[in-house]
Amino acid sequence: MVNKTFKQKSIACHLLETGKVLPFKSEEKPELMPVWDKDLCARCALCYVYCPDAAISRQEDGYFDVDMNLCKGCGICHRECWFGAVTMQEAD
Amino acid sequence: MDKFSLFAAQLLTFRECFSKKGHSACAGCGVALAVRHVYKALNENDKTLEKARWQIPWKQSSIFKTTDQPSGQALPALLSVPKENDNILNICFDNECTESRIKNNSLIKKLPAIAASSDYAYTATACPSHPFDLFEKVNKGWEADGHAYIHILCPCPAGWGFEPQETVRLGRMAVETRLFPLYEISSGYYQVTTDETNPRPLKDYIKKQDRFSSWKSKQIESLQEEADVFFHKLKEKTKTGI
Ligand code: SF4
Ligand code: SF4
Repeated sequence: MVNKTFKQKSIACHLLETGKVLPFKSEEKPELMPVWDKDLCARCALCYVYCPDAAISRQEDGYFDVDMNLCKGCGICHRECWFGAVTMQEAD
Repeated sequence: MDKFSLFAAQLLTFRECFSKKGHSACAGCGVALAVRHVYKALNENDKTLEKARWQIPWKQSSIFKTTDQPSGQALPALLSVPKENDNILNICFDNECTESRIKNNSLIKKLPAIAASSDYAYTATACPSHPFDLFEKVNKGWEADGHAYIHILCPCPAGWGFEPQETVRLGRMAVETRLFPLYEISSGYYQVTTDETNPRPLKDYIKKQDRFSSWKSKQIESLQEEADVFFHKLKEKTKTGI
């Protein structure tokens, strides 16, 4: 994606090649998945707030976890966590 | 005290009103994030919306033709002229991917002002990187007595050319550089809702995106100037009204 100029791309939402698009609950899983480290997590819920796919939910103990049926591996939760509690790891 | 209670995001509803089946948007889609936030805000107001989910009127359109002018039909469709007793909340999810691309930036910026001058009771700009601001504006728009229009900037990883994980960062950056100031116009009164006293240089924002890869420093400077002028005008209006 990186070395293309803007003109070479199709208009977003009308993408010609599907690329990273995963249709709904898909058989196909993303390459990366977020993993939470409970020792670092402050339970601030920022990762939850910023997930565009609503894949993160609060567990009974107040910590957060992901539903891999919905997650597309975008990494926003990893980027936005102030405490570095979310790391992106290879999904099996 | 439990560190649990220190964070504002904990005050949000954890009930999810978003489509539970998932959606087909790209990874890191800013529009999907904004839609999710809007539903969260709306659901607090009206429980019937929970059933509607994606069935709320939802139109995808390219509002600009290849010229820099809004096309004759499209703009009024976006900003319908309020009729008496109408009470409609219009929300525009803007991913800035128009056919003539970034050139329209200045026109898009004027939309909230156009709406305000055509008798909209409430207009505002918002960005999903500032969720609380967005919730508040959607709620105000919902409760407004008359038409309301909310313009939401949604970073688009595929169209703008950045890594999907930067979506929220770029939205925040657009606000911090004052390129997309967050403000609201409520019955003629302007209010800037996030005032960055120390704005970021626009260069940081431009350099992050492939769509600006051909830009020379001169273009960046002129856009910076444009943004500054726009922001100062906005500031003036908060004092004087429309
Ligand atoms: S953003 Fe980080 S610290 Fe906050 S709840 Fe999520 S994982 Fe925990
Ligand atoms: S990687 Fe993206 S989609 Fe997956 S849980 Fe994190 S924010 Fe949500």
